Amino acid sequence: MSVTAEPDPASLIEAYFERGWTDGLPVVPPTEKSVAEMLASAGLRRDEILGEIRGRNTVVVAEKVAINAVLAGCRPEYMPVVAAAIRSLCHPDFAYHGPASSTGGSAMVLIVNGPIARRLGLNSGNNAFGQGWRPNATIGRAVRLTMMNAMQTRPGFLDRAVLGNPGKYSFCFAENEDDHPWEPLHVARGLRPDQSAVTLYASNSLYQVYNQLAAEPEPLLRCFADALSNLGLPNVKGFNQVLLVIAGEHAEVVRQSGWSRRQVQAFLIEHARRRVADLKRAARLPGEPTPADETTWRYFLEKPDDILIVCAGGRAGSWSACLPGWGNKWTNAVTTAIGEFP
Amino acid sequence: MLDAILFERVGVPAIAVVTEPFRATGEAMATSWGMPGYRFLEVPHPIANLDDKQLDERADRLVEEVLDLLRRASS
Repeated sequence: MSVTAEPDPASLIEAYFERGWTDGLPVVPPTEKSVAEMLASAGLRRDEILGEIRGRNTVVVAEKVAINAVLAGCRPEYMPVVAAAIRSLCHPDFAYHGPASSTGGSAMVLIVNGPIARRLGLNSGNNAFGQGWRPNATIGRAVRLTMMNAMQTRPGFLDRAVLGNPGKYSFCFAENEDDHPWEPLHVARGLRPDQSAVTLYASNSLYQVYNQLAAEPEPLLRCFADALSNLGLPNVKGFNQVLLVIAGEHAEVVRQSGWSRRQVQAFLIEHARRRVADLKRAARLPGEPTPADETTWRYFLEKPDDILIVCAGGRAGSWSACLPGWGNKWTNAVTTAIGEFP
Repeated sequence: MLDAILFERVGVPAIAVVTEPFRATGEAMATSWGMPGYRFLEVPHPIANLDDKQLDERADRLVEEVLDLLRRASS
């Protein structure tokens, strides 16, 4: 009789820590079987190339992504979302090296739309950005672990975040398509309502906007415009994208008003601005303020489509959120359709 | 850093200038492009908040090191 000693799970978990293959939390040690199930769930071959990061001389292969999805604690049915998110990361429009390496320490925000969100049980409601939902917690984690382990994005080396942010562990939520004032994000970005999709967006901060008294969009949107034109925002350098997440009571105010997505975007473009003199006094622009600078405005937003507006969060409460984009126009959000493999 | 590596790969002498805290990042980038040990110029940090005079002084002090590295690259 021969006895094969199975590795002790606890010692395997410790071994993964020692190799630097974790995000600091325990991982699920992968097996041949669990990696194969992950690949099969997304209809992927082991050696299939999901994308390339040209500036990193790096090719991302499906098997590596599947291993990291297992490590992160994903169920196999989450893998199509993870794979689509990785395709977004590798898209040239996202310009990976900037937001992934920058001192700004961006979270890779993943917004999931379409039928797959409900089928997987992704949270779009109460605590949408918080803890407690396995797909939200593990899909974003799988993307970050893939970045670390398969895309050379390790803190202190090619990830130079000064502070980073907690969203770097995982930042994944679904859009609330039922209570939305308008069409959902993936439809606004060119896909059909019956398609599933993930939109990837790099953000280095999250600012919760509070307003309990506003019964019309205008006063509410003034709070958003103010949050999007802080003196310390990187956006002073010019016209990067922003993400607004409008939650329950605020979404209802907008929905009841009949304001369109385009009207909201136009209002924010007009009102997210600072006087040049203010920016110079804060050394966000060079030089001493001139009398003309006191009445000259510098605008923070340019094109309506640069303002991504998403509906998510609980129905009760007067909170929404602004997530300014990573500090430059080099990167753009990328929406990728999610393949379904029943 | 990447620009310098790509220039060197096609035979054009080039120098990457990296501020001191980014040494490990420069080394990681060189390694990912198959050039571990690639030499680059390390300068004090930060740069962005220097005025023109300070920047000129910083540049003047670097000229000899730039030339030295260029000569090594082309020799």
